[in-house]
Amino acid sequence: MERSFSCPTCGKCCYGQLPLAIDDTLAHADRFPLVVMWTPVRQGGRSFDITAELGITIKLRKRKLAAVQISPCAYLPPTLPCPELTADGLCGIHATKPLRCRTMPFSAYRDEADQADLLIPRSEWMCDTSPDAPVVYRDKSILDRQNYDAERAQLVRDAAILKPYGEWLLDSVPSLRMEIQKVAMKPSGGQVIVSFSTLIPRLAKVDIYAFARNQLPIMTAYAKKTANDPTLTDFHKRYADMAGEWGKIGGN
Amino acid sequence: MTECPCGSGSAFEQCCGPFLEGAPAPTPEALMRSRFTAFVRGDLDHIENTHASDVKDGFNRSAAESTANSVEWVSLEILNTAEGGTNDDAGTVEFAARFRQNGELMVHHERSNFRREEGRWAYVDGKMNPKGEPRRVEKVGRNEPCPCGSGKKYKKCCAA
Ligand code: SF4
Ligand code: SF4
Ligand SMILES: [Zn+2]
Repeated sequence: MERSFSCPTCGKCCYGQLPLAIDDTLAHADRFPLVVMWTPVRQGGRSFDITAELGITIKLRKRKLAAVQISPCAYLPPTLPCPELTADGLCGIHATKPLRCRTMPFSAYRDEADQADLLIPRSEWMCDTSPDAPVVYRDKSILDRQNYDAERAQLVRDAAILKPYGEWLLDSVPSLRMEIQKVAMKPSGGQVIVSFSTLIPRLAKVDIYAFARNQLPIMTAYAKKTANDPTLTDFHKRYADMAGEWGKIGGN
Repeated sequence: MTECPCGSGSAFEQCCGPFLEGAPAPTPEALMRSRFTAFVRGDLDHIENTHASDVKDGFNRSAAESTANSVEWVSLEILNTAEGGTNDDAGTVEFAARFRQNGELMVHHERSNFRREEGRWAYVDGKMNPKGEPRRVEKVGRNEPCPCGSGKKYKKCCAA
């Protein structure tokens, strides 16, 4: 089976939460409002195995397990564009854009054989999937696999940091474990947002003070941007909290 | 006399002081106490210098310093020690360090692993909020091998 895809750069997929490799968070710490997103996938879910491999597992009731994807992220509501998206729908940092954006529409968070539904554009997306577009996926294989492979290799390297980080944070903060378990049991699933400051002790080369100075103005700006939108109250509160936290760390 | 921050009741000079100056700690517990004292005094050099060689590279000094500065240490309690004797090359220390952060009293409860490297004790890693040794209370299924080791099914052996 063959699938076609081409991107006329409408920019519509550059909205909302953007998962990032650790190196990309560090390279763009002065651009994106960063968090660590924890997303449980229950046993039997289609990406359980790969999620457990790249993340951690957590025990649920009745001897059930959930795999937890631990992903550094640019934290944006679905209605807000990436700060680098230009007015004409192009990427403002094309040459240095994150691995996640390069691999689009494929995703290295999924197995190679499990990509077909990612090639179905969401409503409003203008991706060309007609037979006129070039074939990109054949018999469950990605034809131009360079970016996919690079992203997967990066996720595997990141896992060496994120797995012990995840176990340590779950042990350290029992309420986080309970929150993840609660979200994992929900039929609709969900995510738990954790401050990026919890990950910094695991990133030996990162100066936490410089990082705080980068994040503070971004969190402050997003807190302001979301202040008057009643649909974004949760986001606003998060941004404000994180601005407070980075301000404290940075000595403001 | 300045009482040592580690809570031993001894003077700092007779307790953790010499270890912060670089003298080798005789036991993992003594090293652990001195690392707590170093956190209290903001002596990040001592924290960094007492890491095992293979974890030194993974240590984020700025983050440790930022944490140390954001909390007010209250007390240290040693809960348990194992091995770490003169003939041992490894040892564990379980402790509870109480501190105040943003006005809230909190506990850092950890079981730390230490290793002897070139004669000196060094911190390797730790398990946060460790539970006690797991007690074996799970039931044995009737068709599972008997726990007595006979090789027979449980229901045909000790359960019969
Ligand atoms: S970095 Fe560029 S490609 Fe990636 S989401 Fe932002 S605008 Fe889109
Ligand atoms: S939504 Fe589709 S067409 Fe629009 S930028 Fe993204 S990939 Fe390209
Ligand atoms: Zn002492």
